Amino acid sequence: MDSTLSLKPRGKGKGSKGAPSSNDKSKYQLLKEWSNWSLKKAKVATHYGFIPLIIIVGMNSDPNPHLFQLLSPV
Amino acid sequence: MADLFPPLVTAQIDDKPKVDEKVDYSNLPCPVPYEELHREAYMSLKPDTFEGLRFDFTKGLNQKFGLCHSVMMGPTEVPSQSPDTVIKIPTAHYEFGANYIDPKLMLVGRVMTDGRQSARVRADLTDKLMVKANAQLANEPHMSQAMFNFDYMGSDYRAQLQFGNNALVGANYIQSVTPRLSLGGEVFWVGVPRKSGIGYAARYETDKMVASGQVASTGLMAMNYVQKVSDKVSLATDFMYNYFSREAVASVGYDYMLRQSRVRGKIDSNGVASALLEERLSMGLNFLMSAELDHKKKDYKFGFGLTVG
Repeated sequence: MDSTLSLKPRGKGKGSKGAPSSNDKSKYQLLKEWSNWSLKKAKVATHYGFIPLIIIVGMNSDPNPHLFQLLSPV
Repeated sequence: MADLFPPLVTAQIDDKPKVDEKVDYSNLPCPVPYEELHREAYMSLKPDTFEGLRFDFTKGLNQKFGLCHSVMMGPTEVPSQSPDTVIKIPTAHYEFGANYIDPKLMLVGRVMTDGRQSARVRADLTDKLMVKANAQLANEPHMSQAMFNFDYMGSDYRAQLQFGNNALVGANYIQSVTPRLSLGGEVFWVGVPRKSGIGYAARYETDKMVASGQVASTGLMAMNYVQKVSDKVSLATDFMYNYFSREAVASVGYDYMLRQSRVRGKIDSNGVASALLEERLSMGLNFLMSAELDHKKKDYKFGFGLTVG
């Protein structure tokens, strides 16, 4: 985060010469940032949602077990 | 006198087809998956010994769906600076898990009280293509790991493609060359640290024995041999050599599968002797005892546990 903030003013200062190459770099960086963001969200979703997913899939398989069987210790 | 002759004649007819059987090279059996190459050897030589108390309770709600609760109390090892000392911290945790096991889809998830979660998914997309995913997630950043595998099973070969975090890409291939011999190879590339490797493996099995070997460019060379003395007893031996660091480890082990119990033990050239006993006390109730004695580091671990369901 800090490195990108310090690089941006310098890029603007260079003027129109560096504009096309900085656009291409930013596309690649956008792709990297988007994939990092989506991986982080996928990790959080898996962390909280995987076990509830298994429980939902299991409760809907036949023969359907009851909620009482899920919660009781016997 | 006449009764003696017929049995001899039938015995000869039974032996002939075995000797004259020609190998049908277009109809070879499918080989074992590449990661299970050393399956029989590691079942005997690497039993999961543990330290402390372990209690597992599995409740099946359904043929396919079950929940499991497990409690583990005992010292866990913390990596220390010098390889000679062992630092242990007593911990206790509770783990909740859910399993859904179907012939086409398998979902296994476990979550611990400290937030660590492990998830395993195995799905058969088609008859021949299978997807597997394995992830260990933790609350701390950068401590999670995940691996995705795509397996394709051909008539006498298997191919697998792997993707993991830290930009790990790998592929492996194994082919049956004769009905008993299968050869395979693997390649992998890791992004962080930049490393790539190639390895070769071979496995020869008959009804009575399995021998397998593996060589990798990371410096690992492993060979093992398992002899099934009878259907209750099997003996295994293993030799691992790292040709960069010039370290070799050899081990010998046994696996006794008795009616009510299963005992596995091994002794190592590093001075480690370990054993694991699983005894079936009654239907659904198993008693576990594990011991691992490391004479070189003077680290002795004993564990006991109970598995219900």
